[in-house]
Formats: sequence, C-alpha cells, structure tokens
Amino acid sequence: MSVTAVSPVEVEDVEDLPEDERLWVTIVWNDPINLMSYVTYVFRKLFGYSEQKATKLMLDVHHKGRATVTSGTREEMEAAAERLHTYGLWATIAQD
Amino acid sequence: MASGLPSRGFAVPARAAGAVRVAFGAVGVAGAVGVTARWLWAVGWRRPVPSARPEGGRVPRLAAIRATTQGWMRVNGFRRTSAGIELRLPRLESTLLTELLEQVDGLLQPPPVDDPLEALVGLRDTAPPPPEDPAVARLLPDPYPDDPMASGDFRRRRTDEALAHKRDAAARVLAAVPAPGDVLLLDEAAAQDWLTVLNDLRLVLGTRLGLTDDESTEELDRLSPDDPRLPMAAVYSFLTELLDELTRTLL
Repeated sequence: MSVTAVSPVEVEDVEDLPEDERLWVTIVWNDPINLMSYVTYVFRKLFGYSEQKATKLMLDVHHKGRATVTSGTREEMEAAAERLHTYGLWATIAQD
Repeated sequence: MASGLPSRGFAVPARAAGAVRVAFGAVGVAGAVGVTARWLWAVGWRRPVPSARPEGGRVPRLAAIRATTQGWMRVNGFRRTSAGIELRLPRLESTLLTELLEQVDGLLQPPPVDDPLEALVGLRDTAPPPPEDPAVARLLPDPYPDDPMASGDFRRRRTDEALAHKRDAAARVLAAVPAPGDVLLLDEAAAQDWLTVLNDLRLVLGTRLGLTDDESTEELDRLSPDDPRLPMAAVYSFLTELLDELTRTLL
C-alpha cells in the first residue's frame, strides 16, 4: 500500500464529510465509586481487550479523568455506551 | 475511581438480625436513609433509643460492641472451585442482601407516560424528563450531555428498556440469594447478573452517601461514631467487599 501524505485539503475534506459518516467515540469518565479491578474487568469482558490494554485504559480513566475506549458508527457507540451503563460505568459518546 | 477494598473488611454484626432497613427513598439523602434505630443500636454506632432496648436485655457497652465490629472479617462469599463460582452467605449477610434487593424494583420503575394515547398503546412518543433521583440518574448516565435533543431522544428510545433490564437482573439475583448453609453455583450469565446488580447497589448507596470524588470516598473510613452515614457506609463496604471478591474470581 502506498503512503500518501495528508495535505490540508484532505483534512478539510474529512471535516466536510456528512455528519453520519464521521467517526464516533465512546468515552468513559472517572468516578469515585467504581472499583479499578472491576473497570479493568469490564473493558476486557465487553471489548475483548488484553489485560494490558484494559489496564492502561482503566489507568487513563483514573489519572486523566477520561479515556476513549472504542470508536465506530454512532449506532455502534450508542450500543457500547449502553453495555457500559449496564455495568454501571459512566460512558458518553461524541463525534470525533 | 475507587482503588479497591475498604481499609477493613466487613461482616454484618450478629445483633442486626432482621433489622436491616436501608430504604431507597425517592429524592434526597435525608429522606432516603431510613435506617432503623435497632440497626443503629445493633452495630454499636449509636446508643439505643429507649424504645429500641430489648425487653429485659442488657445494653452492651458501646466500647464492647465497637471491639466486635472492628474485628470485621472478610465476607468470603464468592469462591472459584472446580465446579464453577460458588457463593455462600451467612444468615445476616443473606438477610441484608435480600432486603436491599427487594427495594430495587420500586426504585427503578419507569417514568410515567403523560400522553393518554401513548400510555394506552404502550409507546413513548415524547422523551421522559431526566431522572429526578440522583441515584437513578447515576444508573442511567446521559450519553449526550452536550446535546439536549439527542439526549431526550435517547431517553425516549432507551429509558424503559434500560430500567427493565436492571430490574430483571435484580429480580434474578434476589431469587437466587442463597439461604444460610446453602451454596449457590453461578454459571457465566448468573455471574454477570451478580456483578452488575451488586455494582448498581453500590452506585445507589454511593450516591446517597454523597461520594462525588476520591476525597469523599476516603472520608468514609474516618466517619465519627455519631455520624448518621455510618450504617449506610458499612453496608456500602460490605457490597464493595462482595463485588471485589466476585471480580477477582472472574479475572
């Protein structure tokens, strides 16, 4: 595959994409109640992440206050946020 | 995020039998913490009010009861064995958990459908308002906090089902709470139910206790003996202990 340099024009093109075609992300926010071990487990269980990746995301939430845990279409992110809500995590979604 | 276990383990003290009542109120902290005088007395955090004194019973000295409560043990409820995950609960823990779970259904009722026609056909065409009770709001986070339109639309589409999902999981767990001496064997689906339901209970109690940041969580370990939050904080610690045990059996 050839590597194409990203020009400013192409960046503008991305921003001009119709809203529905732009990437959405699911964000998990820090909270004082959920346990660190539990949050790591939930990331592994729901997204199939390795222990290492799940732990890194959990620590990002803990230290930085939030972490982007997955990305995709809006529908996929709503579904991901709802699964996280089932487990009691504080998840929101946003367009990247 | 809470870093893990409370600084001490917790077992429900023996004298609390049948007296545990940590009601979930509709709104507000003060009205929500309906802990009985008998429970307060039983765990030794407050001197009994005269009417709560058992007939002919000697009121144990506060210091003596404190000594027993500070000797708190681990719950040792969940355990992984060759058969799977097992759960055993002593009598008081079993009673406490049952009484908590019995209150979930009432707490998580769907908001009323105002439009008579919508109510008749059982469809929501207008978005229900955000939950008034902060504990319920904590269980149903708003995925679109910066977009009121999308937020309302999400509530219209998803609130009823999300609440039903949580009520059903709590009902399954309630039906499965092992009686003292019994062993509950959890399959994968049941383990997920227990995980989410125990955490929901923690989120409700944590919200009632005003846990808004890591400092307020640490403060729970330093409450004075007269603090009205102590009994609920103890129940919260008990649930934390149980959830941590279950999580560790699954990792």
